[in-house]
Amino acid sequence: MRLRDNHLLTVLTAGIALGALGVLLAVWGNPENSGICVSCFIENSSGALGFHGNERMQYLRPELIGFVLGSTLAAIAFREFHSRGGSAPLPRLVSGVFLIVGCAIFIGCPIKLFLRLTAGDLTAVAGLLGLLAGVWAGLRGLAHGVHLGRNSRERGGSGFLVPGFFLLLLGFLLLRPGFVIFSQAGSGARHAPMLLSLGAGGLLGALAQRSRFCITGSLRDTLLMGRRTPLLWGLLAFVGVAVALNLATGLFQPGLYGQPGAHLEFAWSFLGMLLVGWISVLIGGCPFRQLIKAGEGDADAGLVVLGMFLGGALVQTWGLTATAAGVPMNGKIALLAGLLFVLGSSLLFRERAD
Amino acid sequence: MLQDRYDKLLWLGLLGVIGTLGFFLFAGSVRESAAVDAGSLDRAMEQELARQAKVSFVEKIYQPVSKLRQEGQLQSALLKLDELSVRYPGEAHGAILKGEILLEMGALDAAVGSFVAAVQRNGDYVDQHHPLSRFETIRQLVERGLREIAPRLQAHPDNPALAESRKQLFYLQSRLAGGCE
Repeated sequence: MRLRDNHLLTVLTAGIALGALGVLLAVWGNPENSGICVSCFIENSSGALGFHGNERMQYLRPELIGFVLGSTLAAIAFREFHSRGGSAPLPRLVSGVFLIVGCAIFIGCPIKLFLRLTAGDLTAVAGLLGLLAGVWAGLRGLAHGVHLGRNSRERGGSGFLVPGFFLLLLGFLLLRPGFVIFSQAGSGARHAPMLLSLGAGGLLGALAQRSRFCITGSLRDTLLMGRRTPLLWGLLAFVGVAVALNLATGLFQPGLYGQPGAHLEFAWSFLGMLLVGWISVLIGGCPFRQLIKAGEGDADAGLVVLGMFLGGALVQTWGLTATAAGVPMNGKIALLAGLLFVLGSSLLFRERAD
Repeated sequence: MLQDRYDKLLWLGLLGVIGTLGFFLFAGSVRESAAVDAGSLDRAMEQELARQAKVSFVEKIYQPVSKLRQEGQLQSALLKLDELSVRYPGEAHGAILKGEILLEMGALDAAVGSFVAAVQRNGDYVDQHHPLSRFETIRQLVERGLREIAPRLQAHPDNPALAESRKQLFYLQSRLAGGCE
């Protein structure tokens, strides 16, 4: 692999930008270790739209809008925007719900997992092991013929619907109509300046679209190809930059106890991320990647995104989400339901040689 | 996409709707309408009013407790809190006041339990900018608690109550550290 390789350079740039902005957005106002957290942002945004009533978790996160629209603009600019879909739509929607359930149990998406680790949060190690186990389990499934089926080009411009929805959200963010709620207290009230967040999201969306960089994708390719995959180097660049910036900004606080947005129920953290890793491999990417793909016109990923919004509302309304106090019983049951779903889907979607 | 009369009709309809939308957006009709609908739709305003009303409400109902505290009648204040907790079960502010009184009385472990109960019910108490914030009190409590509990745990490693207190202190420490919760 040559350093002058364009793809490698794009991946490295994406990794560096994700690591740097992941830390800096927290410095600029986002909650601690949550400079970028797709699942938290989705919970906040579904709350802002009135889908749940947790008054401390309601904010239309501009980063989320930036991810999708940045990806759309990059895909259009490089002639990669294609409406496609038709691969197991409803299971993908449900997958989106369970992605958020898994993230809510761990308290964070795979990007936040690494941001937590790079800030010294040792409780996230259980999540990392779970994510690796989940990606490995997903790969075993793929190797044994489990797949949701091919998508195909779609007529009717279905790929524009999700970018259109996010364009509408951008309108809501700028015009702030009365029915959109913005938290006055709690983590929803903590955010970086809007234009900065939007710009950072747009940049990351475009870079991720060009590079195909995502966390579970990096782990998946590393398990498959080892050092030969450029995504591994992107992930290492992300980790290196995030550690350096956390050290430089004084956010690096190594330890197991008293970490922001973390709990000590390691087995459930492991299982939460196992669910996320496993589902991510089956549907072709982590929550972040689903947003990017939806921006490129992938209607299947768009359904995952809608499922994630539904999940964001459910985890708050039904009290599934873990807190620093631990994982609630409802959350444990929901996680087990998620594992039932992924195991059942693996059985039902498996292509067997007759 | 412009082959026959039906296509042309669709385009005409599309342009008509886009034009109307543009008119609403740029002529300021949306803002005017938002102002008219404010009474029914401005949830942010409703939430802010509810928040301010709650602050006034808890200050009012717990005023007798505050008065007893100021007079140094801490036991009576605790009794009054018990009385109020029957009328307002689950209200976090009572737990906060109980924690503060227990702290004044030197009952550190019991105070920690009360603060944990309050913060679990309402995270506003660890928000630095909330009118009900007890961020600084809880920060000092955690600092002191962790400092004092370590030697006690070393002396009595099998004491489950001490281990529980330490766990509760870690919980408060984690909430003070922030994060997305």
